[in-house]
Amino acid sequence: MRVLIVEDDREVARNIAKMLRECGHVADTAHDGEDGLALAREGAFDVLIVDRMMPRRDGLSMVAALRAEGDKTPVLILSALGEVDDRVDGLKAGGDDYLVKPYAPSELIARVDALARRRNPDAVKTRLEVGDLQMDLLARTVKRGGEAILLQPREFRLLEFLMRNAGQVVTRTMLLEKVWDYHFDPQTNVIDVHISRLRAKIDKPFSSSMLHTVRGAGYRLQS
Amino acid sequence: MTQPEGQTWPLPRFLRTTAFRLTLLSAGLFALSSFVILALVYAATVGASMNRADASITAEIAQIEARYAAGGASAANRYIVQRSVGGGEFLYLFLDPDRRRLSGNISGLPAAPADAQGRVRFVYDRAPADGAQGGEGRNARGRIAELSGGHRVFVGMDVEEEARFVSNTLNAVLLASALALGLGIISGAVVSRRFSRRLDAINAAARAIKAGRLETRAPRNHTGDDLDELSSNFNAMLDRVEHLMQRMRTAGDSIAHDLRLPLTRLRGRLEGALIDSDDAEAREAALQRAISDVDELLRTFNAVMSLARLQAGERRRAFETLDITALLSDVAELYEPVCEETGLEFACDCPPGLTLLGDRELIAQAVANILDNAVKYTPGGGAVVLRGRRTAAGALEISVTDTGPGIPMEHRARVLERFVRLEKSRSLPGVGLGLSLVQAIAEVHGAALTLDDGPGAVDGHGPGLRIALTFPAGED
Repeated sequence: MRVLIVEDDREVARNIAKMLRECGHVADTAHDGEDGLALAREGAFDVLIVDRMMPRRDGLSMVAALRAEGDKTPVLILSALGEVDDRVDGLKAGGDDYLVKPYAPSELIARVDALARRRNPDAVKTRLEVGDLQMDLLARTVKRGGEAILLQPREFRLLEFLMRNAGQVVTRTMLLEKVWDYHFDPQTNVIDVHISRLRAKIDKPFSSSMLHTVRGAGYRLQS
Repeated sequence: MTQPEGQTWPLPRFLRTTAFRLTLLSAGLFALSSFVILALVYAATVGASMNRADASITAEIAQIEARYAAGGASAANRYIVQRSVGGGEFLYLFLDPDRRRLSGNISGLPAAPADAQGRVRFVYDRAPADGAQGGEGRNARGRIAELSGGHRVFVGMDVEEEARFVSNTLNAVLLASALALGLGIISGAVVSRRFSRRLDAINAAARAIKAGRLETRAPRNHTGDDLDELSSNFNAMLDRVEHLMQRMRTAGDSIAHDLRLPLTRLRGRLEGALIDSDDAEAREAALQRAISDVDELLRTFNAVMSLARLQAGERRRAFETLDITALLSDVAELYEPVCEETGLEFACDCPPGLTLLGDRELIAQAVANILDNAVKYTPGGGAVVLRGRRTAAGALEISVTDTGPGIPMEHRARVLERFVRLEKSRSLPGVGLGLSLVQAIAEVHGAALTLDDGPGAVDGHGPGLRIALTFPAGED
């Protein structure tokens, strides 16, 4: 996957690029909004990582310009501004996800992966399948190896998110944001407990486990 | 002496004050209005008497015309002679068609020009027979009329009294205006002196603060007047600024203190990993621990940032009407499994239809933080209850009651401060910002945060803690 990093802090840009390359991606960098826009217009990127405050042209205006041209490349906005209003502004300008600085590197990678997957028209699917795990989004049923699993509504949404991002690391913060729509940071391990409950239903009765903990990062659903 | 252009002439200070300028303006307006009023009085009195004089003159001319028409010039002449000798109020002059004087009590026509109706205003010398008062140059007005046979008659009237009244009135008007102006300037000077002395005191306080004496406050006289109010607001503002600065200083110290320890630990771990570079397993473990240290640091950082922004009061824009019943059950749903896992009984008790004007994210965060606390400090076998209700007074109250050890009365105020963690809790995860955040969120919503004893001590549990957020009525 090709990622464009538009970030005026050269060291930060370099580090992100290095991490992405280590994960096997191709990363390019630009250091202001104008250069970023010019590079993005060439259109060969799968994901754009755009810093919000930059010289020459700020990140929001750059993203808005791209969207106005019909460019639908997923954008992750990086910002030091983390209030609800800031986030809303960022998403309104055409950003697909919003990450507040400072962030853990693993968080950034997980979100970029999730954004890249979003390009696939997963959203219109009515059935999700990972290994022998099947989810019917219309009937709202889950089966593993043909055996029906009864899930609470929240567990269903949690599993849906994990299945949509199967094979990728999803962080606790991502789960809290996408499944619960909370943008704060609980001090206790609430998410871990929800995951272990889900695990008890989709993994425990079966011979192999699918829901893995990735230390220092989050979780990964994998067949 | 030349004055460089653009430089203002050094006026005495009181002349430059706002109070003085305002007083001067009002004195000027007062002078102007007294002038206008007196001018109106003048028009009503003097003007009226002039009109009366003109009317008498016209009537007298009509008399003469009547006699002239009936008995010719001699009849008119006879009448005029009689009237002149009679010492009446009129001045007469009767001229034949050749402009020769026939009779009358003045020697010739006034030198002043007559207007289209023959009206004329002039000055004449009264005969000295009139006694002491008979001076020179008395004011009069009159009218010249052409009679049908070519004779001309002039009838005038002495208006010296009225003219004197006019000039006296004018003098009075001018004097009054001048006095008003003068008094205005004097009172302006006095008032501005007093006013600027008090303003000077406030300015001096501001300058002292600028110079670094931050504890300085503007003097007050407690009369509640506008300057006193200014001083009071000024002082309140300074108190607020000082309070914020104090908070920032404390926060800065606390952050430095709280970050130094994990940073030092992190450095140690990394160094250790470097030394153990041949033991891959140990190195990996050290790096993993280092990563969780960094995560912890990031958490602290983010919490500090949200707290700072909340306290700066930037967040009122996101307020909307919230379904508190749904919000509480959502947060309850998030925490219920944790409680179950740690062996706590958990219940959420909230009647349907509770609403509140607020920020969803913040309220959820506040409730989550309180629940975090409850879960962290309540030993297994205990209970945690989240409750929402409308109080009798109409306020909305969200409370969390646990059966943990509670917080002794003397520590309750302290736990709301940033980074304060009571000794026994140092070993538990968390950065000590939870309740400060709740407090800040309460402030943003105008809500009160109260800490009370829980249900009491039973079987080694308790006395417990009850934390309540009370949102004033009429907010939704």
